Amino acid sequence: MRKLIKFELRKILTKRLMLIAIAAVILLSILLGVSISQSMYAFDGTSNEGTGQTAISIDKSIVAKYKGVLTDEKVQQMMADFKPKSDLHGMNAVYLYQNAMQSAVFARFSDINGDWNGLSVADVFENEKIKVGYVNGWLCTSQNMAKVSIVLSLVIILMIAPVFSGEYDGVDNIILTSKYGKTKCGTAKVMASLLATLLVTAFVVITNIMIAFMIYGGDGLDCSILFGPLAFTEGYIPFNITCGTLLKYQVLLAFTSAASVTGITLILSAACKNQMVAYVASVAIYLLPIMMPIAETDLLFKLIVLMPFYHSQYISIMSVEQMGNGMLYAVWAIPVAIILITFGFAVSCRVFAKHQVS
Amino acid sequence: MELKTIELTKMYGSKTAVNHLNITLSNGVYGLLGANGAGKTTLMRLLCAIQTPTSGKITLNGKKITGLGEEYRGLLGYLPQHFGYYSDFTALDFLLYVAALKGLNEKTTKIKVKEQLEAVGLSEVSNRKIKTFSGGMKQRLGIAQAMLNDPRILILDEPTAGLDPKERVRFRNLISAFSKDRIVILSTHIVSDVEFIAGEIIMMKSGQILHSGKPQEITTEIDGQVWECTVPTNCVDQYTTALNISNSRNIENNCTVLRVIADCAPMTNAVQVRPNLEDLYLFYFKGGNNQ
Repeated sequence: MRKLIKFELRKILTKRLMLIAIAAVILLSILLGVSISQSMYAFDGTSNEGTGQTAISIDKSIVAKYKGVLTDEKVQQMMADFKPKSDLHGMNAVYLYQNAMQSAVFARFSDINGDWNGLSVADVFENEKIKVGYVNGWLCTSQNMAKVSIVLSLVIILMIAPVFSGEYDGVDNIILTSKYGKTKCGTAKVMASLLATLLVTAFVVITNIMIAFMIYGGDGLDCSILFGPLAFTEGYIPFNITCGTLLKYQVLLAFTSAASVTGITLILSAACKNQMVAYVASVAIYLLPIMMPIAETDLLFKLIVLMPFYHSQYISIMSVEQMGNGMLYAVWAIPVAIILITFGFAVSCRVFAKHQVS
Repeated sequence: MELKTIELTKMYGSKTAVNHLNITLSNGVYGLLGANGAGKTTLMRLLCAIQTPTSGKITLNGKKITGLGEEYRGLLGYLPQHFGYYSDFTALDFLLYVAALKGLNEKTTKIKVKEQLEAVGLSEVSNRKIKTFSGGMKQRLGIAQAMLNDPRILILDEPTAGLDPKERVRFRNLISAFSKDRIVILSTHIVSDVEFIAGEIIMMKSGQILHSGKPQEITTEIDGQVWECTVPTNCVDQYTTALNISNSRNIENNCTVLRVIADCAPMTNAVQVRPNLEDLYLFYFKGGNNQ
């Protein structure tokens, strides 16, 4: 069996197209990581202003002044420190961006003129303890990872689609007449597919995290995602979790997405006579949930977000109400992935064994 | 060992590829002859259990092959008419992969792969990628993979297609040496390939067995119906249209000797000759197809 898995793994991972696709995902990760950090801007309200690494340094130095749990005093201090010094010409101050901390506090505690809107920390966050820190970098990283995870899923489909259907080009004759062709070979194919998926996903996830550490350092991992800049307020995860927890969930979801996609693709790979058809059908199923106009209040939404696309996209599944034990609904992605991969294993092996050679 | 088909039928929609076929195969080499569409490949696929019969069954020593599963496939070696390969695999990789599929252990794999590469004359190029191989080399690789597990039942669909004469002789010798205590079934259009090595010829037409028997005996069917006659070379075309000609050979003085299959002497100078398998094939498949 080990020998068969090794051969199947080799067939999956050594295709030139696959190597190019994996390299492209890594390149995309680097480009996204670098470009988003380069486009960052920060102004400390006095003399320091800059983009890229300079902006990150300015943001970090500003954040250092307010580190710790968010209090009403800190909010007042921030409002005073960041009060607009020039005429906004009618622009709502909430949308003003000087630096990450200013944007975070204005998004929640400012009126349209940049004055305090009268809300207290308790009014905005109820009883939650909000730990303030440099979270902008990690929040941007998580957004990048979502994009990368979606592309990665498409690459995984490309990788898995030929596992069974690729054999229908003529090697099926030989495989299915060999002793283990209808038994162990199918199992080896599924095991190798899952292994290849996990390896590629791990490689991409580690690359993304390393890029983030290199650009932003480890600051902010223990701080709340709820006190991020304006871009991370509306429609973002509404729970008081740290960036570290967000990262852990995202890594988990990247793997569950990859495993779920593998399960679905294996079934289609075994059922379709042509690898291109298997690829297109798998992509269609993967992207189908985003075509379905279901409101977040709809009960069906709770099921739809369990589809692999939403594992990659992460925000929707992580925004569903928390479970009783304080865990996020997103942990349901684990049983979904297990079910899909098990189902994929059973169905694809059976379909392949019963395949009629033509 | 006895491989038996009982009322075996395979239909593709309304077309019947194999029609209520009853055949019993025991140890020996069987040459399957028939025009395109006669049902040879379908019969072979059914015997290999890679197609499910519409009705009827196949048994090995009285047991249905579908129930035998791995046990049956472990006895099987199959060379399909057209087979795919992995372009990035070398010949050696491919055989190692097939050996793993056939469940050979490490030691046997080493011995068998080396042995088969030598037997088909691919030892020198075993580390070359298959995509660089010629058609004949790929065919030889196909033969090697089929024989890798020392199969008790060897099924070869058009094994000599793409092989040059020297390779065909090597193949015949290989099969002759291999066939003892085994069932070897090979289909081909090239009558001479089976004429020398097959112990029994099975002629198929429209999914049914038209005729079967030993090569020497089977031709007696058309005894007295094969003639040789000498005609002027410039008249050959008109004879070709009018007669069932199995062979023509130019000789001196602008003359051609025609080998004709006919119930009675096609012309006055016709001389009766002993029929061979090719004559019999043409006798049954005059049109060159399955009509």
